Amino acid sequence: MSEQKTLYSPSSSVAHSGDDELEHLRREHLMLDPRPRGEMNAMVMEAMLTTSWKFKLVFAFMALVVIVCLFGVWGYLIAEGIGVAGLTNPVYWGIFLVNTVFWIGISHAGTFVSALLRVFKAEFRRPFTRAAELLTTFGLVQAGLSIFFHMGRVWVSYWLFPYPNERQLWPNFHSALSWDFLAINTYLLASTMYLFLPLIPDLAMARDRSTGWRKVFYRILSLGFRGTEGEWTHLRIAMNIFAFAILPVMFSVHTIVSWDFATAMRPGWNSTIFGPYFVIGALQSGLAAVAMVLVIVRSTMKHMTYFIREEVFDALGKLMLVISMAWAYFFFNDYMVQWYGGDQFTEKLLHFHEAGPLGWMWFAMLIFNVAIPWLTLWNRKIRRNPWALFAIGLGVNVAMWLERYIIIPLSLTINFMPFTWRMYVPGVEVPLGIGTLAFFILLYMAASKLIPLVPVWEVQEGQLAHTVRRVGKEVVVSVAEME
Amino acid sequence: MTEYKIPEFSANWAEEDKGKWGLVVDQDLCTGCQACVTACAMENNIPWVGEADAAYGRAMHWIRIERFWEGEYPNVRATPFQPVMCQQCGEAPCEPVCPVFASVHSQVEKINIQVYNRCVGTRFCANNCPYIARTFNWRDYERPEPLPNQLNPDVTVRRRGVMEKCTFCIQRIKRAEDRAKAEGREVYDGEIEPACVQACPAEALTFGRIDDPESQVSKKAKSGRGVKLLEDLGTVPRVTYLKGGA
Amino acid sequence: MSEIVSLLAVFPDIDPAAQAVDELRRCGLEDGDINVISGIPVTEAMLGRPRQWSNVPRLALGGAVAGFLIGMFFAFGTPTLYPIYVGGQPLYPGAPSVVVLFEMTMLGMLVATFLGVFLDSRFPSYRPKEYVPQISDGKVAILFRCPIEKQERAIQALFALGAESIQPAEAQVL
Repeated sequence: MSEQKTLYSPSSSVAHSGDDELEHLRREHLMLDPRPRGEMNAMVMEAMLTTSWKFKLVFAFMALVVIVCLFGVWGYLIAEGIGVAGLTNPVYWGIFLVNTVFWIGISHAGTFVSALLRVFKAEFRRPFTRAAELLTTFGLVQAGLSIFFHMGRVWVSYWLFPYPNERQLWPNFHSALSWDFLAINTYLLASTMYLFLPLIPDLAMARDRSTGWRKVFYRILSLGFRGTEGEWTHLRIAMNIFAFAILPVMFSVHTIVSWDFATAMRPGWNSTIFGPYFVIGALQSGLAAVAMVLVIVRSTMKHMTYFIREEVFDALGKLMLVISMAWAYFFFNDYMVQWYGGDQFTEKLLHFHEAGPLGWMWFAMLIFNVAIPWLTLWNRKIRRNPWALFAIGLGVNVAMWLERYIIIPLSLTINFMPFTWRMYVPGVEVPLGIGTLAFFILLYMAASKLIPLVPVWEVQEGQLAHTVRRVGKEVVVSVAEME
Repeated sequence: MTEYKIPEFSANWAEEDKGKWGLVVDQDLCTGCQACVTACAMENNIPWVGEADAAYGRAMHWIRIERFWEGEYPNVRATPFQPVMCQQCGEAPCEPVCPVFASVHSQVEKINIQVYNRCVGTRFCANNCPYIARTFNWRDYERPEPLPNQLNPDVTVRRRGVMEKCTFCIQRIKRAEDRAKAEGREVYDGEIEPACVQACPAEALTFGRIDDPESQVSKKAKSGRGVKLLEDLGTVPRVTYLKGGA
Repeated sequence: MSEIVSLLAVFPDIDPAAQAVDELRRCGLEDGDINVISGIPVTEAMLGRPRQWSNVPRLALGGAVAGFLIGMFFAFGTPTLYPIYVGGQPLYPGAPSVVVLFEMTMLGMLVATFLGVFLDSRFPSYRPKEYVPQISDGKVAILFRCPIEKQERAIQALFALGAESIQPAEAQVL
């Protein structure tokens, strides 16, 4: 780009007031509204260090819910046996696994945002990659917990680990659950490492401007990072490898989760399209969850209106619309082929889904997953309204939870032996589910006060790369490839 | 069996269709008296789950008697009673899905066995059983005095959180085989009777070697009235149902 | 041999820092004596510095191979050690083994990448180091070692390029 065409270089902080078009672009895009790094650091630090009484109240409440609903009820469940849950013959899997699939779905958001959008260099991702990655890690924690709730003898769950043991037994790698074990562990480890790598420079930043126990905390976590050329190079290469390698892992995780069902001999489950259908479903709920979390972060934490702008919601809304269409496509594919197959049990099952006692779930799923996003998200005004997007995202998440409920306990009701057909009534699954939600919120709240929620160096890097120039008479944004 | 060079298909263990032990259920003789259900519970130390749990479908019977009504009232007709237990599939769907090898195939007895001590309670096997023949220990069910005196010492008492199912009374098979071995002979046809077979007053159940064409069970299975449950799923069940005679 | 001093020059931006690197070279310093410390990833190309060597990609590859081998052991070794037949499936199933191999390969690769960063950057190290906190405020610092007789010339040149401060680099607890 030639020198005279550069109207405004954000890195030099030269403001051209008076030019409406430029002013508008600056208000619109974080990348075109740079502030000195020191100021952004101070903003992020202040957002992290400020805790209102409301925050403390909610935090205490969530902690209480976690202690009672999660650890209390879990203890009761372990002591009494799975009988205190609502599971029965033939519905051997219930809300525990619904929640597992749901949380793994949520966890796909972080990777999607930070890896896929990084690979495709979508610039709007920069301020919220970490907020989304936290969703991944903490979502997986809840998914793992839900699996532990589900197990009949959780005290021997370590038998799933492949290790040489006195029982002379290795796990059965024919089982989809063993693949699941490997995939979820890989994903949990990978997403935690991927969360941590770009966090190191921000931890060093926090280390440089904190005192007391926080100083010690950040000093230990930042590992002695200074920002030398070597450190940055290794970090950049590692993050690049992660961004590309974690994507297939992400796809594999939910595909394997779907195989837990698709490999089973059950009407409605034995479907070859379950893999991609589940992956898209995961992205559907995950993106909605990112939007919801960002709305809350933006409205409750200091200075976040600077970092998370309406452009973010606009972009997320578009993605949600596209993913919703993809979900509808896969859903219809699955439904169409099952319906056409004409197998009597599958036919009964489909009828049971739509017109059974819980038929409202099926319709609610379609309304919140398809009808509402399609009717609203095409509209720029709605997409840019955070609370409207929050409501749509909430609907999508409820619908995706219902989808998993329909796939697991409702579909298990119908099988090849009509004598055994029986409905499932949840028991302690309900408080435990609420417990995982509270635990997720608790972990997220704690993390938002312990680590810088905005990757400041990534924001600054992006701002450096952005310039505005004129092509003919139009003012356009151009992004330099710096990585 | 054809041997292929591809390693995946060269495994020569695949059971021949005949298997070893088999059961024949004559639905034309079954009176639905539930004696088999009771005998099975006694023999195999199956706990009493109590009224509430039983009403919710958690009764842990390893064998159940199915019966349906056909037609609209008042023109209803009861279908023949159908006792359903584990079909001891030759290619059991419950086996490969267990992550900890708790559900495995006995290559000696050619039946499907459940190793209680290995089970961690994922319940995947129960979901993948098309016959819904598996039962789960939902709780530690109470066994008030003096009922513990009734427990069968040959059968493990299971605790909460493990899966279990019909074993074809493998303890009886093993005892008969040991006895035959001590006496230097083969097990003769009809020597082994699982508890359900022994208890059936109508003699609707027959047990024996299905790999021996001369055995009672083989002859009955080939009588022309025989069908297998959900045979089209390819599970190779070892239980034959006789229906449609007289 | 003359005495060597260590200096830390802080620049407000990338451009003067890049020029300063050239200037230091002109003073007769080797690239190996110069290190740039910054709050954002400033690439070698921006500074006109020689390419950084990184073992991370090789370690990642090695990790992938190791993970693949562990996967091979899981998929084919463990059934050989303890053969258990299930569900009419072969002892060494085809498709399921692919899943195991894939997951273990990816796990090995990602863990090795992560550890590679630790190895290459010598993390964690809590020894005192030459550093000023302004760096995480977006400043670009040049840490260089030069013979004492060249010190005066270098300092003047760097100030002329807009260095905010030049001080003897002292290792401090981070």
